[in-house]
Amino acid sequence: MISMSSVRAKNMPRQLAWRLFKHEAKRGELSIILFAIILSVAAVLSLSLFSERLQGALTDRSAEFIAADRQLSARNPIDPAWITQAQTFSLATAEQVSTRSMAFANDELALVDLRAVSDTYPLKGNIKLAPELFATGAATTQIPKRGEAWIDSRLFQLLGLVIGDNIELGDATFTVTQILSEIPDGGFSVFNADPMVLINHQDIAATNVTGPGSRVNYKAYFTGENSDLDDYFDALSPQLDRQIHRWLSVQDDTSPIGESVARAEQFFLLASLLAIVLAAVAIGVAAQRYAQRHFDPVAIMKTLGASTNTIRKVYLYQISFIAILGIMLGAVVGFVLQQIVVSALADTVEVSLQVWYWRPMLIAIFTGSVCALLFCLYPLLGLFSIPPLRVLRRDISATFSSRGGQYITAGGAILLLMWVYSQNLKISLILFVSGLILVGLLLGATFGLIALGRVLGKGRMGAWQLAWARIKRRSLDNSVQLISFALTIMLLLVVLVMRNDIVQQWRDQLPQGTANYFLANVTQEQRPKLVEHFAKNGIDTDGLYPVSRGRFVKVNDELIRTDISKEDEDTTNETRRGLGREANLTWDTVLQSGNEIIAGQWHDQWTPQNSTLPEGVFPVSIEERVGERMRIGMGDELTFNIGSEIVTVQVTSVRTVNWQTMQPNFFFVLHPEAMSQFRASYITSFYLPPERKPELTKLMAPFASVTMFDVDARINQVRSIIDQVSAAIEFILVLVLVAGSLVLVAQVQASMDERQRELAILRTLGAKGMMIRLSVIYEFLIIGSVAGFMAALANEVSLYLLQTNVFQMQSSLHLEYWVIAPVTGAVVVGLLGAASCWRLLSMNTQVLLRKML
Amino acid sequence: MIKTKDLIKTVSTSEGELQILQPVNFSVEAGESIAIIGASGSGKSTLLGLLAGLDTATSGEIWLDGAPLHDLDEEARAQLRGEKVGFIFQSFMLVPSLTALENIMLPAEIIGLDNPKARALEVLKQVGVEHRAGHYPNQLSGGEQQRVAIARAFITSPKILFADEPTGNLDAHNSHNVESLLFDLNKQSNTTLILVTHDPELAKKCDRQLAMTAGELVEVTPNQDNLGSSKTEHQNNPASHDQEASV
Repeated sequence: MISMSSVRAKNMPRQLAWRLFKHEAKRGELSIILFAIILSVAAVLSLSLFSERLQGALTDRSAEFIAADRQLSARNPIDPAWITQAQTFSLATAEQVSTRSMAFANDELALVDLRAVSDTYPLKGNIKLAPELFATGAATTQIPKRGEAWIDSRLFQLLGLVIGDNIELGDATFTVTQILSEIPDGGFSVFNADPMVLINHQDIAATNVTGPGSRVNYKAYFTGENSDLDDYFDALSPQLDRQIHRWLSVQDDTSPIGESVARAEQFFLLASLLAIVLAAVAIGVAAQRYAQRHFDPVAIMKTLGASTNTIRKVYLYQISFIAILGIMLGAVVGFVLQQIVVSALADTVEVSLQVWYWRPMLIAIFTGSVCALLFCLYPLLGLFSIPPLRVLRRDISATFSSRGGQYITAGGAILLLMWVYSQNLKISLILFVSGLILVGLLLGATFGLIALGRVLGKGRMGAWQLAWARIKRRSLDNSVQLISFALTIMLLLVVLVMRNDIVQQWRDQLPQGTANYFLANVTQEQRPKLVEHFAKNGIDTDGLYPVSRGRFVKVNDELIRTDISKEDEDTTNETRRGLGREANLTWDTVLQSGNEIIAGQWHDQWTPQNSTLPEGVFPVSIEERVGERMRIGMGDELTFNIGSEIVTVQVTSVRTVNWQTMQPNFFFVLHPEAMSQFRASYITSFYLPPERKPELTKLMAPFASVTMFDVDARINQVRSIIDQVSAAIEFILVLVLVAGSLVLVAQVQASMDERQRELAILRTLGAKGMMIRLSVIYEFLIIGSVAGFMAALANEVSLYLLQTNVFQMQSSLHLEYWVIAPVTGAVVVGLLGAASCWRLLSMNTQVLLRKML
Repeated sequence: MIKTKDLIKTVSTSEGELQILQPVNFSVEAGESIAIIGASGSGKSTLLGLLAGLDTATSGEIWLDGAPLHDLDEEARAQLRGEKVGFIFQSFMLVPSLTALENIMLPAEIIGLDNPKARALEVLKQVGVEHRAGHYPNQLSGGEQQRVAIARAFITSPKILFADEPTGNLDAHNSHNVESLLFDLNKQSNTTLILVTHDPELAKKCDRQLAMTAGELVEVTPNQDNLGSSKTEHQNNPASHDQEASV
């Protein structure tokens, strides 16, 4: 009598799944699917962990520019209750009051940028003090004590001060105790940059400079966890008045650094998304192969009495075991990989010291699980539907087969992952739609290829004809393969080209020799002497530009209410009044480099004689963005009060200006005729190599009245961040390239399995090894080159969409890749095919045949 | 043990319906061994698939140990197979990623028998490949694989054994060994054997031989050298009066 145990029957699927898993893992049969999951998890984890750490560091660096994670700027004093409230949100706070005021000392007076800061200032970055005038500053953790003032090197010169002297600010007197080199949020403006004076927050009241009528800027600084900061902002925002308050976060930073960081973040996101897609493709390919390999075991088990439910459990358990192992190994590999890269790049790239973040880990696990589940779903459903009759009739395959459904599930899974991960539907949709276009093109290409094959594959059967015959016969499988090859190549191209374009555009912003010093207030008399003096010392100046300050009076017939608005030009310019009461005007007939006329005509053709403008009206060229902000366009008449003279100009051209260039740039460029009666002062910039810095004092000695701005530190800071981000991007590129190559290997491997039977038969029939090899190589060369070409095509589409919609970059055609991609595709895919084929054909026919059983 | 009534199988082809089994009526007693012989494509494997419940008939009835196979769904048929049927195939059909021992244990585990490992070791010894217990199928010779398959078929002590060309992939020496083993075990366990083969020598070892020609099944009398029809059951089966060849 046969005895049965229900417990045993219940545990059977798990035990059987475990046994199959163990043996298959040991025999290397799971390597491709396991490898694909490991790859997806490792790629996503290492990329997002690295990018999280890098972003942490970059955000910290950027935060230094606003001296905190968030900044609240206001025209009225900030309610102390708000500061107290911030502290209840576990935020660190600091305060600053700033205004422009006159400073008196030694019977001299100068307009200064007065900053009064609280004890905790700055929350991010450092105050830097110089050991001597104009020397490089060193960080300090102190702030001025009460009664002390730390002042700019220039103010020492202007007022003839030495350390220990007194300086009067409003009603209060301070002792000068330090040479102030820089503060984190000191700003960076060549015009209107008055020397800075730093005092203690508690001293500001005593100066009485913040009374009614004075223009004071109040700032509160906050740092803390992002979530706390966001919660605080949510709580605070109902009380904020947009006219008065401005909430600033690192992301709002529109400086070159801010933009570099933002663009880098988008690139990381893109690269990670592509890594996810690559991994998903790999898992899809591997799952398909896995399911096909299990057709026979399923038929056998069903024949032996296993119910569909049992089969389902066995394979769901097995997939779970594979997914769990894959995720665990992937996590370890990803973490180690990222750690290796961090150590390798330690000198170049500064990353956060915090080594563990949960978000990347959760994303990686989520990715691994979703990929394993959704990409295995359809192959598994097919597997479950294998009829037991297959044991008798081997040609019977899965009864459940829905390629359409499979594509929809796979596509949906990819889009879902991209969206969840990026939380950016636009970037996800762009990539997804490009992918769909590519798939459509490729399906068309496959059929084109088959038609071509009929022509090219004619003649006596040789390697070439065999290759075409295979392409024709396996058209459906080939189209799937072609799509996955092309998708992989396209994703690699997108990452490669984006990286090149981004890094190039960054490098272009600050080429070697970018001006690191600015000179202002050069008089007409000093101009020739200065040019000569600098030339003698081997220093090129970037041209001297005349500057005159003009007060806005009218735009057309509309009076500008300068009496109400007391804003300065370096502050907000949101409305027509917004530019401020004064503008820096320059005049020239030569268009400055980095400027481009986008409407109208530049001044070089204009003369008073051929003028079509009204009598006494001169041409002016305006910068595009200021035109938009002030609602000034072509043909508008602007009236300035310069000195006590009225100058009327008409907008005859609009320019775009590259503000990233370190040279003086202007909103308004007049025709020299308009300014012939005015005395001008000049500004210029020049580059002094770091090793010549000690010569600076000597160099400037004959021009004591000329104001010099040292922007070297700022430029180095920007450059070092750009270098860091570039190095990081390079790493990501390498990682994505490796991931992509591995996917290609997996795909070739999977397709070689399918070809194994045919190779064995050809071999048995006596086909020469060389002919079989050549036919496989030809086949892969053809598929690789078509995939490469299609990828280049789709690459252009996705790059165009990404660069114009997401990265806000100039987009251009990348014709070189139209050649590189097909050639590389053919070579790489051909080589991989050849290598796999070599391995198979190096086995003797007996072994090959046995492998088929 | 097995009884069929007007069993018909038709399939759809591009040229319309094709009847691959003419109405088949026959019965097999418990413990009998039956050989179904016929040329390739004559429909014998189709019949085997139907009798074993691997496929469904277009019409007609199949009774397997009293169970109406034609009324059962796929799940119930699977359960019936697990409990009452053993299989041996031409291409062995072992699970490649399980060892010989685990392959043998598989049917016992599927239906939840106690001590599957001990049982498997026992039958493995009976078929004489106990020294290969830990080997995977691709590490075994064809003869050894088929011995393992036979052991797998007998582990659940099935009432009926279906064998599809069991020696078709083996050389003469191995064929002989496998045949002996199969018939010995069959006799020992008093299993009903349905054997599909095109090998007349193997067929002769069975109690009865049925010949399949173009979907028609006829009984071959022991003294007949050529295939011929016996109408012995015809008279007992009024439903098949009009059929030219019923057994």
